[in-house]
Amino acid sequence: MIIGKFYLTLEKKLKYNKMKIIYLFILFVIVALAQIFVPLHMIVDKEDTLMSGVAYKFKTRPIDPTDPFRGKYITLQYEMDHFETKDSTYVVGEEIYIYLKNDEQGFAEISQISKEALEISKDYVTARVSYYYDNKVNFYLPFNTFYMEETKAYDAEVAYTKANRDSLPANVYALVYIKEDKAVLKDVYINDTPIQEYVEK
Amino acid sequence: MSLKFQKELQQLVADQVISEDISNKISEYYDQKRRKQPNKLFTIFGIFGSLLIGSGIILMLAHNWDDFSRMTKTILAFVPLLLGQLIAGYAILKDKSRTWKEASGTFLFFAVGASISLVSQIYNISGDLGDFLKTWTLLCLPLLYLLRSHAVGLLVILLGTYYAAEVGIWSYRSNNTPWFYVLFVLGVLPHYWFQVRKHITANTTTIFNWILPASFMVGLGAFISNNSELGFVMYVTLFGIFYNIGKLPAFQKIRTLRNGFLILGSLGTIILLMIFTFKWPWEELIDTWVYHSQEFYISCFFGVIAVLLLCYTIIKKGVQFVNLFQVSFILFWMLFFLVAANPFIAMICTNILVFILGITAIKIGSDKLNFGILNYGLLIVSILIICRFFDTDMSFVIRGLLFVIVGAGFFFTNYLMLKKQRKSQTM
Repeated sequence: MIIGKFYLTLEKKLKYNKMKIIYLFILFVIVALAQIFVPLHMIVDKEDTLMSGVAYKFKTRPIDPTDPFRGKYITLQYEMDHFETKDSTYVVGEEIYIYLKNDEQGFAEISQISKEALEISKDYVTARVSYYYDNKVNFYLPFNTFYMEETKAYDAEVAYTKANRDSLPANVYALVYIKEDKAVLKDVYINDTPIQEYVEK
Repeated sequence: MSLKFQKELQQLVADQVISEDISNKISEYYDQKRRKQPNKLFTIFGIFGSLLIGSGIILMLAHNWDDFSRMTKTILAFVPLLLGQLIAGYAILKDKSRTWKEASGTFLFFAVGASISLVSQIYNISGDLGDFLKTWTLLCLPLLYLLRSHAVGLLVILLGTYYAAEVGIWSYRSNNTPWFYVLFVLGVLPHYWFQVRKHITANTTTIFNWILPASFMVGLGAFISNNSELGFVMYVTLFGIFYNIGKLPAFQKIRTLRNGFLILGSLGTIILLMIFTFKWPWEELIDTWVYHSQEFYISCFFGVIAVLLLCYTIIKKGVQFVNLFQVSFILFWMLFFLVAANPFIAMICTNILVFILGITAIKIGSDKLNFGILNYGLLIVSILIICRFFDTDMSFVIRGLLFVIVGAGFFFTNYLMLKKQRKSQTM
């Protein structure tokens, strides 16, 4: 009798344990799917921008030569980093909307900036305000790192700096695809050659 | 059972302190006890192993192979993640041992971060480090409970603190507040509370006892923005909470050194109050802070928690067990908000407060026959005296004399204590 009862409770306990494990596992599957979803979502977003976004060429500037070499990517700086405005209410770190157009040579140019999204059909990128001085609002564009294979990164940085210092105008630019509020930096070109190939030459 | 212990047993049998039979029973008892325990060393090596393998894979992928197409790189970014998920899922489904769960949890934790950062690399996403850390921690927090893994708990705290510091302290360009840090802390607390209730003497609990308050100390800094004067109130109250947590009945079973909340609470309180024994902090405190501010609300919230903890201890153990350290945050609040208008009086009051705190520590040390706490009290009083050298005009003779008296005090008190200890041992 007692032994029978003991087995019954044991069985119940085992059953309970099994149920617990199954519930735990179901929860784990949900978490695992979320873990997969986040990078996947990033990929889908970026691929979509690359496929159906509009390509803009952003002229780059020489980077500060004292800037330490930063591993396997190069840091880009753009000529487009300020806009003249009398409005001095821009706050450091604030997100602003930069509306774009192309100049005669086919490089990106600012058409207007705004603190809020405007109801116009122009392409835009979001940027963060770095400071306001002398009737200019300065900002930095979000796509400023370009990853390279580690063996090529240093040469690329050297080539990038050298090409930027050449007197030739607009020989270095970044190709950025833009769709809605998404921007993907696809490649960096030196004299119309992708930087990877340029380095290999 | 250790060889040394076995030798001791044999010695006891040889000296006829215990019989052969009892000796056998003792060794059998310890053997059985050991067999029941999981192999800790194996678990630790499991965690380190998966840490190394995980980071090795990440490093190899971080090479950013140019020869692979974007598609191949993308697929490769998911390999560690899926591998980690498979192992962790298997560990849950088969209800594997602690070692399995800790190791797979650690691996999966890093795999999640790796896959996100590899995708960022493939698409040249400059990204915001704060956002990345937030997403990573959020995606891994549930693993703490699904795998019941301490390693994941620790990693969540470390990464959460990094996130708070990155968003609130280091990124000077933005003035955001890392509110998600609160979520991470709240997420880890149930696990910690369970550990305190069930395994207070375990080493893992000790690690949490130290790392949690240390994380709060860093994290709180990220919540101070424009009213930095109120930061002092926030920190004093936080240390008040720490000390009162360390005094909770649950923590009475462990040695003081294992009680990180108590030690950090006490040290923090003393250091902050010591700053306010000078006159200049009080003079600098012009009534510029705003009551309608994030800092003030956080201070009030902390104040309520600290008072509630204090009340709980009073109800459980009685008012006579409350010492000055537990209420010093309330006294500081009174000085800061009521007396600060008169810097001289506020300074004098703080000096008296710190002096009495030192005496309290000496008394606690002597009551408990604890040399550490006794000398801690002496140190507080000595530093207070030395600090006063800086802002008073005393002749070198008097200063010298004071030093001699402080030094003699150290010797004398320790000597008295030693005598007291010997006496209690012989009794």
